Amino acid sequence: MNRSSKLSKVYLALVFIILYTPIFYLIFYSFNSGGTMSSFKSFSLEHYKAVFADTRLIMILINTIIIALLSALISTAIGVIGAIGIVYLKNRKSRNALLSLNNVLIVSPDVIIGASFLILFTMVGVKLGFASVLISHIAFSVPIVVIMVLPKLQEMSSTLIDAALDLGASKREVLSRVIIPYIKPGIFAGFFLALTYSLDDFAVTFFVTGNGFTTLSVEIYSMARAGITLTINALSGLLFIVTLLLVLGYYFVTNRTKNPLRTGVPK
Amino acid sequence: MTDNTIIRFENVTKSYDSATPVLNNVSFEIERGKFYTLLGPSGCGKTTILRLIAGFMEPTSGDIYFNGNKINHVPANERQVNTVFQDYALFPHLNVFENIAFGLRIKKLKKEEITRRVLEALKFVNLEGYENREIVEMSGGQKQRVAIARAIVNDPEVILLDEPLSALDLKLRTEMQYELRELQQRLGKTFIFVTHDQEEALAMSDEIFVMNAGVIQQSGTPMDIYDEPINRFVADFIGESNIVPGVMIADYRVQFGGKDFECADKGLSPNEKVDIVIRPEDLEITTVDRGKMTVKVDTQLFRGVHYELSTFDKDGNEWLVHSTKKAAVGEEIGLDFDPEAIHVMRLNETEEEFDKRLESYGEENHAK
Ligand SMILES: Nc1ncnc2c1ncn2[C@@H]1O[C@H](COP(=O)(O)OP(=O)(O)OP(=O)(O)O)[C@@H](O)[C@H]1O
Ligand SMILES: [Mg+2]
Repeated sequence: MNRSSKLSKVYLALVFIILYTPIFYLIFYSFNSGGTMSSFKSFSLEHYKAVFADTRLIMILINTIIIALLSALISTAIGVIGAIGIVYLKNRKSRNALLSLNNVLIVSPDVIIGASFLILFTMVGVKLGFASVLISHIAFSVPIVVIMVLPKLQEMSSTLIDAALDLGASKREVLSRVIIPYIKPGIFAGFFLALTYSLDDFAVTFFVTGNGFTTLSVEIYSMARAGITLTINALSGLLFIVTLLLVLGYYFVTNRTKNPLRTGVPK
Repeated sequence: MTDNTIIRFENVTKSYDSATPVLNNVSFEIERGKFYTLLGPSGCGKTTILRLIAGFMEPTSGDIYFNGNKINHVPANERQVNTVFQDYALFPHLNVFENIAFGLRIKKLKKEEITRRVLEALKFVNLEGYENREIVEMSGGQKQRVAIARAIVNDPEVILLDEPLSALDLKLRTEMQYELRELQQRLGKTFIFVTHDQEEALAMSDEIFVMNAGVIQQSGTPMDIYDEPINRFVADFIGESNIVPGVMIADYRVQFGGKDFECADKGLSPNEKVDIVIRPEDLEITTVDRGKMTVKVDTQLFRGVHYELSTFDKDGNEWLVHSTKKAAVGEEIGLDFDPEAIHVMRLNETEEEFDKRLESYGEENHAK
């Protein structure tokens, strides 16, 4: 037993090393004063300086974050309402139909979503840019939020709602005091997942962006096509740190919700 | 209907999608300030009645009245009723204090009053000091007590309790039975209590409704129901009974087990087929020549306060006997009993007919 647990630990370590090595390799060379990733000359922060000196790049970074935050927020709101609607739908057939539609959106390739949105936007006449990117990010995030929230809603016993009504709560109070707090972990998970999906989306954004508006992943793609510079490494390093902070934030928030407000009696 | 009636069911039928209704034409009245028990086997519709009173669903047909007003369509959150749910239904995201305070916070009471009332309720259910616990940190019995506290803290007119003691151990259960009964009397509130434990029902109630398959079979005080069960089902469900088929030969004479006996019933048609009930504790062991009936002892169990004997007469009817005396297994003994110990039940008698018949005996006795 001891042996097998040791083995599984080694295996786990190996998997993580393989997964993380490329990232750390990339970040490592972002501190290289030489211009390539073939040999490490000496430590320097010049590529980071280049990133921060490039106001266009900073603007793109800010755009990316704004798009991510906005789309995650809006899609969380839409997704939560949608999930509640689906779960409390009386008709079983239409409930299953809606669920299937939702799942199809999740598994359909980004390229198809991107292309179809491009067609839609040009047909309707939406100018490509911030709005089109935001709308399409919201669109692919909503199903993700729904999927994260649904299990929590389904595991919630319906007598909890009866109990709240029994204690005098109105429909709205049932929602705000029982349902929402109960599914909070699912809501946070959905929000953070939507955030990361939006942050690292390339395919959909690539299709629907235009008029000089880009996000980081699209920008990195075009920079890489123009020729690899270590600025990309520095940028990736920064992004990695942002992601790390997000994950930490997620843990912090979900652990807090496990111990809800203790408004009991002061001792 | 009296002024004291707080809840009234009038021909209430409830069916889900299937053809057979879960409640079939149920009518009853609940009087203010009494302790009622719905007693019946699993699936007979007890929870359904509570849900109709609480307002979680509407009757398929028939009317429900509360304080004289029809409340069929009044939503649950506007009813003066609180429920202790069968599965507790405590809010897992709130701690014990907040669970109990839920209804008071909805009513937007002052903070100090909420604290005072919640602590008082906790004290009643013997959970002082538990207010900051999370629900997952409570045992099954403790959760039930939180659920009880959450209902009583709102001071409703009627409290519905759906098998609230079923998860407790025997000692705590008995203790909570006393305390619930005591609380009910202290508050003067109407309690409607659901159980499938007949001893619990007999011990706690002012009035018992015995239910089976969506119909109230009999309602009455514990004494009434225990002493004068209306039919085989009630007699069997309310306690261990000897139920044998018999024939009413004439007034005050009944035949069963191949013999004629004197009894206290009259007014039935001659030679009418009936069911006879004799409680095990009404049978007394004596010698064969002194007994009214001769039986052979099959098994004997020691039950603490008494011996439980399983005996058979020569027709093969089983007779359970509760006796403080011992008997020898395999031996023939005599059984003695009073004429009053024989309860005669007509087949398919309705509750109204049954009550009328019982009343007529009463008048007779007064006339004597
Ligand atoms: N939502 C529902 N849909 C269909 N049938 C239901 C539903 N709820 C209850 N029933 C049926 O109604 C009948 C009565 O149910 P009810 O819950 O009132 O029983 P009960 O007397 O409370 O039983 P128990 O002692 O097991 O709690 C059962 O046969 C049950 O199968
Ligand atoms: Mg039930």
